[in-house]
Amino acid sequence: MDVGTLAFSALYQFGDAFAFLVLSACGLAVIFGMMGVINLAHGEFIMCGAYVTVSVAHTGLPLPLAIACGAIVSAMVGALVELIVIRHLYERPLDTIVATWGLSLIATQGTLILLGSTMAGVGTPFGSFQMGGYSYSLYRLVLFFMALAVLAGLYALFNWTRFGVMARATIQVPHMAAALGVDTRLVYSLTFALGAGLAGLTGGLYAPTMTLVPTMGTTFIMEAFVTVVVGGADVFLGTAPAAAVLAVVKSVMTSWQGQLFGQIGLLVTVIIVIRVLPKGISGFLLRERA
Amino acid sequence: MSGKIMRGLRAAALSGTLVLGSGVAFAADPIKLGVLEDQSGDFAAATIGKVHAIQLAAEEINKAGGIDGRPLELVIYDTQSDNTRYQEFMRRVLQRDKVDAVFAGFSSASREAYRPIVNQFDGLAFYNNQYEGGVCDANMIVTGAVPEQQFSTLIPWMMEKYGKKVYTLAADYNFGQISAEWVRNIVKENGGEMVGEDFIPLGVSQFSQNIQNIQKAKPDFVVTLLVGTAQASYYEQAAAASVNLPMASSVNVGQGYEHKRFKPPSLKDMYVTTNYIEEIDTPASKAFFAKFKAKFPDEPYVNQEAENSYLAVYLYKQMVERAKSTKRDDLRKEIAKGDVCMDAPEGKVCLDPKSQHMSHTIYLAKVGADHSITFPKVWEDIKPYWLGEAGCDLTKSDPSAQYTPSNPPPKP
Amino acid sequence: MNALTRFFARLEGPQTIGRGPGFWIGFLVVLTGACLYPQFSDGYTVGNTVYFFTWVFMALGLSLIWGYGGALSFGQTAFFGIAGYSYGILTINFGAAYGFTLVAVVLAVAIAALFAVLLGYFLFFGRISGVFLGIVTLSVTLVLERFMAQTAGPEWRIGSARLNGFNGMSNMPPLTIPWPGGDIVLFPDVQLYYVVLGLLVLVYLLLRILVNSSFGNVLVAIRENPERAEMLGYDIRKYQLGAFVIGAALAGLSGVLYTTWGQYITPSSMGMTAAALPIVWVAVGGRSDITSTLIGTLVVLSAFQALTIHGSQYALVVMGILLVLTVLIAPRGLILSGASRIGRLFGKRGDA
Repeated sequence: MDVGTLAFSALYQFGDAFAFLVLSACGLAVIFGMMGVINLAHGEFIMCGAYVTVSVAHTGLPLPLAIACGAIVSAMVGALVELIVIRHLYERPLDTIVATWGLSLIATQGTLILLGSTMAGVGTPFGSFQMGGYSYSLYRLVLFFMALAVLAGLYALFNWTRFGVMARATIQVPHMAAALGVDTRLVYSLTFALGAGLAGLTGGLYAPTMTLVPTMGTTFIMEAFVTVVVGGADVFLGTAPAAAVLAVVKSVMTSWQGQLFGQIGLLVTVIIVIRVLPKGISGFLLRERA
Repeated sequence: MSGKIMRGLRAAALSGTLVLGSGVAFAADPIKLGVLEDQSGDFAAATIGKVHAIQLAAEEINKAGGIDGRPLELVIYDTQSDNTRYQEFMRRVLQRDKVDAVFAGFSSASREAYRPIVNQFDGLAFYNNQYEGGVCDANMIVTGAVPEQQFSTLIPWMMEKYGKKVYTLAADYNFGQISAEWVRNIVKENGGEMVGEDFIPLGVSQFSQNIQNIQKAKPDFVVTLLVGTAQASYYEQAAAASVNLPMASSVNVGQGYEHKRFKPPSLKDMYVTTNYIEEIDTPASKAFFAKFKAKFPDEPYVNQEAENSYLAVYLYKQMVERAKSTKRDDLRKEIAKGDVCMDAPEGKVCLDPKSQHMSHTIYLAKVGADHSITFPKVWEDIKPYWLGEAGCDLTKSDPSAQYTPSNPPPKP
Repeated sequence: MNALTRFFARLEGPQTIGRGPGFWIGFLVVLTGACLYPQFSDGYTVGNTVYFFTWVFMALGLSLIWGYGGALSFGQTAFFGIAGYSYGILTINFGAAYGFTLVAVVLAVAIAALFAVLLGYFLFFGRISGVFLGIVTLSVTLVLERFMAQTAGPEWRIGSARLNGFNGMSNMPPLTIPWPGGDIVLFPDVQLYYVVLGLLVLVYLLLRILVNSSFGNVLVAIRENPERAEMLGYDIRKYQLGAFVIGAALAGLSGVLYTTWGQYITPSSMGMTAAALPIVWVAVGGRSDITSTLIGTLVVLSAFQALTIHGSQYALVVMGILLVLTVLIAPRGLILSGASRIGRLFGKRGDA
């Protein structure tokens, strides 16, 4: 087996782990990282996106459009949830654990009752390609580039748009932002909806590759929290390097000792990183910069 | 006195008990069956059908006059795929509802959670589920298939057809590890070679690395012992990466009807040994399937566990009518005779007195490119031989333990 | 004598609701009721009540760490599991004779507490706080769960005790009290009920004394404002570590009692859902008061069980709705909000 093949396969595994971590975490990074809301219903927003995507795709619409629908519906559900529940809890971030856990129970069991225990999938598009004796799924590369696109999009959104600047101002010093005429309520609503929408996008993107069941969101939860905590509060400076570091840990451990050690490696990395960098990677980077 | 009756009535109403088939008038006391199955949570997809099958059997039996003239009454609780709920409700059905027998459990962990309680109250529990085998316990009757029945048929057949190099991909817990051990032993006995084994923790849904490992090992076929809805994502991901290897399994299709849920052709060339699936084309199977669909038209799939549960009710009826008693010891005397058999939808099944496990007709189901099912081979009367041969004999002693090939019963 | 009086005077104080003869008469009435009730009930109900009681210790421990100390531990189940498994390993190896099960209880709780000392030192002396503390403790319990889940093979054994992976460990003896003329085996029935009830009352009263002592006052000061507490000269890390270890020992006690109750312990007891439950019980009852936590936990446990029995598949949905409503309508917890309302009704200052 030549070096090129080995290098490509290692890179492919890294990219695959990276994409999963970034996409799992991006919605949570906005909601937990920026707003401090511990959203245990994050997985259910992902499930919502996946279900909507597949339902729309079954009607015959092309998959990219279906995924967009999934993201938009999730964002709308997110806005609604923020309005009814989350809005009242910004002063008490720890209470959001109980509330969002309740929401996640309602969502999973509600989906089971309304839509049944499973849903037929749509199949993975694009087929596969050959590389040095291995065949790879092309769609996995699409996921990797989508992860990069999401990161770039978030960077652009928070740095170059009016909403991004207002959101960052609101989250850093809410009363100051309010004094300067920012509608902080609206900003919080939009930010939460954005996080939920990103979760829905993730669900839509992974829907073709997974079993569709009401509990599917839970498989994303651990990776999402791990990435966000390692990353810290800044969405771009945190999530991207955290996902990169964790993807290396996960893909190396998994190829060396199997999936169990990949998972345990992730959890141990979190414990170590928090001990060394209590504010996550982005806290460290920002302090260095300042 | 009247207060007591009132309390009893209220308890019956509250615990959701249901006397089915009230069209027939019964003079005698009902026989109570506890049903603890996961109607919500992770395992719901595969287990709701079990409850429906028991309801169907109970309704049929009550319409035909009950068991020895006594109506059958079901006490059903939803265990929410949660081990602690099994512990709570097993005590409840045995101590409060005072049921005569309990039908309980999907996951092996749930069975192990309730087994000490059944032993403590000396109850009788039916575990109507295929599992990793090895439970030697006089309080338990197992109607599901066990590894020796599914692998001693499947693996030699696969090796003959596709080749001797085998790769196992298994869930990283008791069921997967013990099943993988069975596969390893049978492959070795038949002169084959294990080119790789990979264990996946429960709840993992991403398989890129494992797919690559399999391609590297170049096996002739892959044995997939994946469990749970998250792990089922493997098939879609393997198909997307064009792994294109034949697969052999003891859990898929027959339990989680993956061929109905996934878009073809992700399960192409999957071979499964199962004791029942709804596609089986015999008159008995078709009649059972028709009755099931008539009562539960929305049932997504009638799987092997549903059939196991259905036949278990009739098996219980037969034992009670032969013993003229619902006492566990009287029933076990009937089992000890070794002729507790019946014609189930799958074919003839018998209870083995030594292990209280069941012989089955084993069907080899092949999934086609369009996810249609064909049956290249059927084995009749495959016995759950291992426990008895290894030294478990419930007619003589009751160790109430679970054994595995690498941890067999102590030799007498 | 004087010291003793002072000690018992701490049963009341600013950190606990309920004071004066009225409260203590009520307490005695409830206690008498709890003592007499097995006489009027069946074995199932009593055994089921014991089951509820076993969880309360873990909730009380979390109330101390989170409600009083302000440090959210999302991983109490780690100590629960460690103690449960320790009890299993010890008793399967050494049997139940000569009252060894009681020694095993103490040892198992001590092992859990020792683990908490190590973890707590790592956390509090590393200045990890807030949400991050929750995530680290959650990670610890998840690591333990994943690891234990794959120990199915016969090579995973300690002495003659097999860990037995995801299927869980069973066959450990129930609690046994040595007695002339035959050991008393405490099956989950009336006997075990009185033992656990006694433990519960003892722990409850000791915790009341603890939180009203200077230790408890400093703990609350840390919760309210850690910097200020530090400026006043307290080493807040030691206080938080102390509370953490006591809370962990109580979670361990829950773990041991649960294991003896069902003669079974499983890795799922350390999983995500299991880890979230104590937080729910404590938050619903009212985390900043141990009486509220105690009542709240019992209410939530029995309500959830009743819902599962009678609500069929809608049970989980109703539970979810109840949780959301509780957080929105009674932010301090149902029991605590209710108690302070009743307190106001009687014209007293009811809250802590």
